[in-house]
Amino acid sequence: MSSQSDGTDVDLAEGIDHQVAMVMDLNKCIGCQTCTIACKTNWTDGGGREYMYWNNVETKPGSGYPRDWEELGGGWEEGGDERSPGELPGEEEYGAPWDFNHEEIFYEGSDEPLRPMDQAVNGPNWDEDEGAGEYPNSYYFYLPRICNHCTHPSCVEACPRSALYKREEDGIVLVDQDRCRGYRYCVEGCPYKKVYYNAMTKTSEKCIFCYPRIEGEGPDGEVRPPSCAADCPPQLRLVGYLDDEEGPIHKLVNEHEVAVRLHPEYRTEPNVFYIPPFAPPQHSEAGERLDAERIPRNYLVELFGDGVNEALNTIQREREKVRRGEESEVMELLTTTDSSDQYRLEVFQ
Amino acid sequence: MRRSELALVAVLAVALVATAVYLPQLTDARPAYEIPVRDAGDGDAYADATGEGWSRTPAATVPLGSTGAAVPNADDVSIEAVDVEAARTDERLYVRLSWADATHDDSTGAIRSFADAAAIQLPVSHESRPPLAMGSTDNQVNVWYWSADGQEQELLAGGAGTTTRFEEASVDVDAQHDGDRWRVVFSRSLESPHANRTTVSDDQNLDLAVAAWNGSAGERSGRKAASEWYYAATGPGPTGPPYETLLWVVAGVAIVVTTLVTVEGVRRTRGE
Repeated sequence: MSSQSDGTDVDLAEGIDHQVAMVMDLNKCIGCQTCTIACKTNWTDGGGREYMYWNNVETKPGSGYPRDWEELGGGWEEGGDERSPGELPGEEEYGAPWDFNHEEIFYEGSDEPLRPMDQAVNGPNWDEDEGAGEYPNSYYFYLPRICNHCTHPSCVEACPRSALYKREEDGIVLVDQDRCRGYRYCVEGCPYKKVYYNAMTKTSEKCIFCYPRIEGEGPDGEVRPPSCAADCPPQLRLVGYLDDEEGPIHKLVNEHEVAVRLHPEYRTEPNVFYIPPFAPPQHSEAGERLDAERIPRNYLVELFGDGVNEALNTIQREREKVRRGEESEVMELLTTTDSSDQYRLEVFQ
Repeated sequence: MRRSELALVAVLAVALVATAVYLPQLTDARPAYEIPVRDAGDGDAYADATGEGWSRTPAATVPLGSTGAAVPNADDVSIEAVDVEAARTDERLYVRLSWADATHDDSTGAIRSFADAAAIQLPVSHESRPPLAMGSTDNQVNVWYWSADGQEQELLAGGAGTTTRFEEASVDVDAQHDGDRWRVVFSRSLESPHANRTTVSDDQNLDLAVAAWNGSAGERSGRKAASEWYYAATGPGPTGPPYETLLWVVAGVAIVVTTLVTVEGVRRTRGE
């Protein structure tokens, strides 16, 4: 299915009425993990979910969470018809939660510092702030990640029992917990490694785009954006339908093409889009500005595909327009502090 | 007829009787795809996976192969055969599966851990054999499923990917691993009080297929080693030793008659 607007096509998955989507502006992310904790306290607080971060923020360049997830396969082969099966990460790749000496310190009067009991060798965002490059031109940026609720989800295709499915009304990808038998083909099959196996329930689980919140199923009956978006201190996420022509997501993704997909070469067609990161230009040892980009363009192309070039060029042009005192819809959309512009909650009602 | 001829006839008659009685036992002739079913008495010796009753029970060695299911590496399966033994009381059927597996995989507690498992598939209805791959919408199967992580389930399926667990399993399982081999006994009452569950009848044989998974090889779901349809000889016949004996008697009589006719022919040719 596709919806037509202003000469742009929005491809939706077969049989889907609308498609939820997010745009995350990487220039605003400060790596505070408030989104991560908002998600965790809502959905993955215990019960076999200790190691799960349906929302995580990782540092790029870096190995990510789970470690080296970009090398574990999954998604679709060229042509888009054949799946690439992928591999299962181990606990150590996720960085299993550590046990701390809380007991000794809080109840037994120990003077030891609070610390992990075992050697801590990995954790989510383990390589925070390491980044890449040499002083004075080192660089890094943060990459928040949730399930992409893909248009062509390889996790759905991977399940031999059809336990994973895209919701007809809004394209949210869910795991039917009654159908799931814990085979973990979806965990292997997702190239973003955003499906997680719960060893206590023996089923797989994943981000649900906070569907009870966007359905207004909370105690106050209010329609709310997903927790990760609502609690973000710099408010870097826009929430709505990809096919909502009046919404900011449609404009940024389809009209201005400044929001791009992470690893489009996996061919699952993610519905989380990113405004690519800018950084100050490189500096000489003497502190002079050089005419060279700090974040190598080829690294951004590796992450976001060729489309990132035009997206960066467009944003640069739009910034210059604003500097000249001209109007720019792109910059308006990216800098608004009006939450009703950031979250098109009316489309969910 | 002379005395030497009488002696020959006598020898042939003895050979005939001996052949009819002993040859079936020597060759252990059994129709292909049959699982013999032994009388289990009160069943006490069979509920345990190493119960002493099983040492008296004939086993059918059932070859297994991959299923071609639409999951990654479906053809890469490791268990080549399962020995299947069956016994029954007036009220209960016992089926023991045993197979070689040097790795004892009993945990699904880690992301990469899969447990060893086994299953027996039975038609819900006796009217016609369902398709081997988990039955079909209009010809469903029951599956008795055991996994070494402690799961015992009774499932209903109507095609690949449709297995649905009954809320209450009425199948009991005892499983033991001795370092080299799994021995797993499934038992259930012959009649089931629940709908959509196979009833074991005295009137006819019970179709069954078996499957086994090696957890440490990543086997789960359709990546399994499975058999073709076999049947447990729960019905009255026509299989079994009396039938075999009749066949051997007919063959023996034919041999004797042919021999006598030949001898007589030779004798007449010589003009004796």
